Amino acid sequence: MALPANVYKDLEDIVGSRNISGDPAVLDSYRYSLAHTAIHLGPFFDTFTPRGACVLLPGSTEEVRAIVELCNKHKIKFKASSTFWSAQGFPSEDDTIQLDMRRMDRILDIDKKNMFAVIEPGVIGATLQAEVMKVGLNTHIPGSGCSCSTLASATSYFGSGPSNLYGGWHYDNLLGLEWVMPTGEILRTGSLGQGCGWFCGEGPGPSMKGVARGFLGSKGSMGVYTKCAIKLFAWPGPECLPVEGTIPAYRTPLPDNFKAYTVAFPSWKAWADAAYAIWDAGIGYLAHRQFNMFGRDLKFAMVKILTDPTKTLSDLEELLADPEVQEITEQSKREFQIILVGMTKRDIEWQKKAFDEILERTGGWKVEAMDEPHIHDWVLLYMIRLGHKNLNLVFGGGYDGCFGLLGAADYGASNAEEAALFKKKWEKRGAIVDAGGDCMMGPIGGQGGGGTCLWENFTCFDSADRESTEGTFEFFDACTRFGLEKGWGVGMEKWNAVARGPDGKTTSKKKRDTIHLGSPQPSVFRYQHRVREAFNPNDLGDAYYETLDDT
Amino acid sequence: MNGKMTDLMNIVKEAEIIDDPAVIESFAHGYRGDVPMRPMFMVKPKNTDEVQKIVRWANETCTPLVPVSSGAPHLRGGTVPTAPGSVIVDLSGMDRIVKVDRRNRLALIEPGVTYTTLGPELKRHGLRIAMPLLPRKNKSVLTSLLEREPVVSPRYQWNMMEPLRALEIIWGNGDKFYSGGGVFRGEKEEDWKRGLVPVWGPGPGQLDFYKFVSAAQGSMGIVTWASVKCEVYPECRKLFFVPADRLEEAIEFVYLLLRYRFGDELFLMNKSCLAYVHARNADELESVKDTLPSWAVVVGITGGHILSKDRVEAREKDIRDIARGFGLKFIPQLRSLSGKEFGERIMRPCEEPYWKSRYSGEVQEVFFLTTLDRTPGFVAAMNEEADGLEYPAERIGVYLQPVHQGVGCHCEFIIPFDPDSRMDTRKTEELIRKSSLRLSDQGAFFSRPYGIWADMVYDRDAGTKTATKKIKEIFDPNNVMNPGKLCF
Repeated sequence: MALPANVYKDLEDIVGSRNISGDPAVLDSYRYSLAHTAIHLGPFFDTFTPRGACVLLPGSTEEVRAIVELCNKHKIKFKASSTFWSAQGFPSEDDTIQLDMRRMDRILDIDKKNMFAVIEPGVIGATLQAEVMKVGLNTHIPGSGCSCSTLASATSYFGSGPSNLYGGWHYDNLLGLEWVMPTGEILRTGSLGQGCGWFCGEGPGPSMKGVARGFLGSKGSMGVYTKCAIKLFAWPGPECLPVEGTIPAYRTPLPDNFKAYTVAFPSWKAWADAAYAIWDAGIGYLAHRQFNMFGRDLKFAMVKILTDPTKTLSDLEELLADPEVQEITEQSKREFQIILVGMTKRDIEWQKKAFDEILERTGGWKVEAMDEPHIHDWVLLYMIRLGHKNLNLVFGGGYDGCFGLLGAADYGASNAEEAALFKKKWEKRGAIVDAGGDCMMGPIGGQGGGGTCLWENFTCFDSADRESTEGTFEFFDACTRFGLEKGWGVGMEKWNAVARGPDGKTTSKKKRDTIHLGSPQPSVFRYQHRVREAFNPNDLGDAYYETLDDT
Repeated sequence: MNGKMTDLMNIVKEAEIIDDPAVIESFAHGYRGDVPMRPMFMVKPKNTDEVQKIVRWANETCTPLVPVSSGAPHLRGGTVPTAPGSVIVDLSGMDRIVKVDRRNRLALIEPGVTYTTLGPELKRHGLRIAMPLLPRKNKSVLTSLLEREPVVSPRYQWNMMEPLRALEIIWGNGDKFYSGGGVFRGEKEEDWKRGLVPVWGPGPGQLDFYKFVSAAQGSMGIVTWASVKCEVYPECRKLFFVPADRLEEAIEFVYLLLRYRFGDELFLMNKSCLAYVHARNADELESVKDTLPSWAVVVGITGGHILSKDRVEAREKDIRDIARGFGLKFIPQLRSLSGKEFGERIMRPCEEPYWKSRYSGEVQEVFFLTTLDRTPGFVAAMNEEADGLEYPAERIGVYLQPVHQGVGCHCEFIIPFDPDSRMDTRKTEELIRKSSLRLSDQGAFFSRPYGIWADMVYDRDAGTKTATKKIKEIFDPNNVMNPGKLCF
């Protein structure tokens, strides 16, 4: 259904004719496949999210406010997105107005002393990082990569990534926030609301930032966040990342106060022991199990390909047959990457010694092959910048995560092998990439200072192949059953499915209620329902804000 | 014994109910403009079930409840009843340290656990908790964290709620709720081994439930248990001072330490404040004060559990070099003030008398959040206000505590007064009132609005006031939890 002409005209008056479109071709470019984290589109899977009623590109908070007020007047649903990561950034209801926030892309302030930046939604991690490095600071880049909106990550979804450990995840980093609430009223949290600056998001008294986001954000279902301040952290490196090499083997040679290691362990218990010891010692700048996303059996061969511009994927088979590659693959089964960064020479020297001591105590070892200069510097660039998200899709054009065990290091470590074995059996059926079962990746330190890990098991497949595509969905269904059976809960392969059904549209209330009633604490969703009633009385978002009616 | 008391006794049979006039009267002191109300009686629940029954009873009978966890004296007025017929819910008897888990560095504590009891128990497990500066011996750890009291170690504060994590909450409507990772509360030892532990603070879900009870002065519900994140008890530690004649000279140095996250304990004090911490009584205080520099940065260095001495040595050299770069001295002894002794002192709760009250017997505080670079302006404004009222500005202790890894700074003025002098008391009250308004106009963020600050902040920010009232309506629809506080 097209918008009534008078509503379209009113919206056009707000944003200007260049920043609105109801053209079906344009609107179709604002649709997405149903996958949780990536693209599944192909000839055998072509279910899109619903087409929007129109798309708007607002240029200011005032314009956003006027749009939201108009939506309330006409009871039209709306959904804002900045860099459109996954189906969650797209509407699940027909005739929703889509707000593309890319025009609001200014870095409004960088407070060097107090270590924060004030940004608009269209500012991506790469831009912010490049700007703040000029003044000796860095920004946390979430796992979705540096092309994603920093504000969206901090306010609306999760915000976790390799630099959680030192930089804090974006939950930690979100300071003052400007929020056009679902009614069109503007809430400025913490010190901002008092006119005292952006440095604090909490209070006065009970913190209303807690309405804007919890463990997760509201995924575009509760108004529009138009500005925020993001906490930064020290960058004791050059003002600009030096980049050398040829695609895809770009690398960054950094001074001696930067050191990247890949370390491996004889058991998962030892792996977890090391994680705890690193957190206790307070060392490390970034720590992630990163390259295992290519799979336990393939990762080192893939690193060889990606660090050598003369090699392509077609060299994979040959590399896998190389005894040296096999040996390194075998020795790095249970590994992770860690980057130590010293603020001074003494600091890096102490961190290195402490890290060696941790390896000694836990029986771990450095994977020497990953210390080759061209690989070492490639790892630095990869981890610091997180600009290689295309590699998620490298094997067959399709990928998604499954399981996603989240908790203390012991939790994932005690279940990892079982999850890997389960996947390995499915890999042998041929639908998904045979990578060794364990393709689990995620942060060593899910929050500032450590304490938790995330274990996302990457599943790669060929999105242009019917058997592969259908087999992958069959595998995901099996993952969910297995996760429930093991008490892990529904894995990330189905996180999207709570709000959106297989037709791309909002899941039935009955189904959502069943899921929410089966959760460990259904009252979480009952309270979210009450908050939605209070703050979004016309219910102009979608089911990504998860609610359960009072009974 | 009134009817309500009898009713409640029948509901919570095991709980102690007290109507001793002396006890009841102790809660009825006015504070910063609050009109004091004598509570009806006090109830001391022993467990969560009793707390839940009390809150449900309060809803049925429209009885205001005022939760209290710390022992007297209560300095900020959060526990002064401001509605008639209130019942004090004294949680000090719920004082179990339920669990200390070394591996996950978590402690599960009830509201009656004080820093005095928690510290030694954590040490036994090789742990410690980032503490506020010299809390009273009977100060509830949980209250301190819920009220977002700043801690002396900003480097461990990845967010403003740290080190508070999961909570068990009885909301004002009587519901029991687990925030954060509280559903994994480790009731079985096996769960701890498998890593099913209450390590997350945020959420669960898309609301941040623990933020609704933070800095709420008990107006949203009663927290009956919390998990808190601990730090490794260091094998080796040292404490140094960096004296400065002017605050501005020290600030740039502190900023660099914050940026590098050097210094486990890191804060600034003027000489009055240093003297209040150091001296044992008023006589000693005056003689100590004259020997101290105008300002000092306090820097603690700890060595953790791995290569402890090496770490301390490396940090000491680095920080000394940094101080030298700013033309400052980095010294272990400040006249009669030994860094070692000072370090040991700030790692424990305060000995009696309470350090802020040592000068004149009583104290008022003005505190707020700002950024470190703006603090000299606030100090100047406070001094001007004091001069204007002929309050001796040299008495005012200034404590500047960087928070959230240096993004913000807690700025606190400690204003002693003689409670037996009507003039001194009146002057102090006037100073609090006038300076609060001026500092607020100047950009001070009164993030924890006690007493007269509540109207001041909520009148400035209608959006937050409206949102806060909506949240209150959801979690405490009958307004039984500490009515009259904040904007309720």
